[in-house]
Amino acid sequence: MAGQIKQMIDLIVQQRGEGNKVLEGVVKMKLILKGIDPKNYTETSPDDPEVLGRLLTLMREMK
Amino acid sequence: MKAITAFSVKIDVADAVADIREQLSPADATMVLFFASPAYDPDRLAAAMADAFPTSVTFGCTTAGEIVTGRMLTHSVVAMAFTKAAVKSVKVEVLKDLDTQSNEAFASFERHFDTRMSDMDPDRYAGILLIDGLCRKEELIVDRIGDLTNVNFVGGSAGDDLRFAVTHVYANGTSHTHAAVVALMEPAVPFSFLKTQSFAPLPQKLVVTRANEAEREVIEFNHKPAIVAYAEALGVTVEQAAAHFLNNPVGLMFDEEPFVRSPQRVKDGSMIFYCAIKEGMELSLLQSTDIIADTRRTLDAARTASGELSAIVNFNCILRTLELRQKGLTDQYGELFAAVPTVGFSTYGEQFIGHMNQTATMIVFH
Repeated sequence: MAGQIKQMIDLIVQQRGEGNKVLEGVVKMKLILKGIDPKNYTETSPDDPEVLGRLLTLMREMK
Repeated sequence: MKAITAFSVKIDVADAVADIREQLSPADATMVLFFASPAYDPDRLAAAMADAFPTSVTFGCTTAGEIVTGRMLTHSVVAMAFTKAAVKSVKVEVLKDLDTQSNEAFASFERHFDTRMSDMDPDRYAGILLIDGLCRKEELIVDRIGDLTNVNFVGGSAGDDLRFAVTHVYANGTSHTHAAVVALMEPAVPFSFLKTQSFAPLPQKLVVTRANEAEREVIEFNHKPAIVAYAEALGVTVEQAAAHFLNNPVGLMFDEEPFVRSPQRVKDGSMIFYCAIKEGMELSLLQSTDIIADTRRTLDAARTASGELSAIVNFNCILRTLELRQKGLTDQYGELFAAVPTVGFSTYGEQFIGHMNQTATMIVFH
């Protein structure tokens, strides 16, 4: 499979951003500072388990 | 009056605090935020400030220079009292062990405001973070806070007048080292956050291909020894490169805004920075611009966007302060804040969304 990272990033940005463009920008910057730059991931990006694990942890933390 | 500022250059702790207390006496303060030269005994100062304002939450930290309405100072105590018209409620917690991830402080905030951190409205609540400036744990703490909440925290790393020996944070009568003070407040007025740095991105890119994040060390940029790639990007020799660190740091770009990462020194071909940089990050080489003009523009933009300013807390990087001192511009910088009650200090690092360098981060109340 591929593209799961982008899917998770989009979901995190959507959930945390709450439809607010400024908040969405802040969430993206937080991800960049974690070393996960949203612009580097597309629908065809390989599913790096290390990155997926970090995103999953982040999603759990935010609930 | 929403916020009142005071400063004292009296040498003795008791005299300085009495001086501050007298200047702030009309204020029915929810909280008193204070920053002090490390020349003042930290334990005595923290206790004396708490005693002087028994009905207020008091917190602050040591500095590498102080900022107060219209002035940049040294060897002083500066303070701002926030009345209930400025801040309705505040809760301050101390993170005493920065090596261990603890949720206790955040659980305390949730109890105090009766709201989960994840549910807190970032337009209603705001945070201040003051952290030991020598702990090198800023990224960890800021990242942790950012995971837990959408509430924005702004802050600075405590200083010690460039001695780089020990820094302190203060909270409710006690001083701490290797610790952080985290304050969550519910302002009574609209507020916003400012981040200003005086750098323009250059086209040259440096990709971190090898790093030791814990040591804030970049070993390779673009698959070359870091200092070699940096020097090549600048078009100078390796021997000349370190002389460009102050005017040509690097920036993690987002929406054309740099999050500045400042090189500190060269170590065997690696570059040691004042904040952590991760492998894979693409950084832009930066060129310094005009601190006075850029800061003025930022403050004017805040007024235009959200209305007149009633108080400012300014976390200004010591590297900016050193540049201002070298250029004889500290009075001009102070004057930028002459019309608005302001308190702040020269920091060993600035926080807003992340941890950064050569930046001023501020919370402004409208």
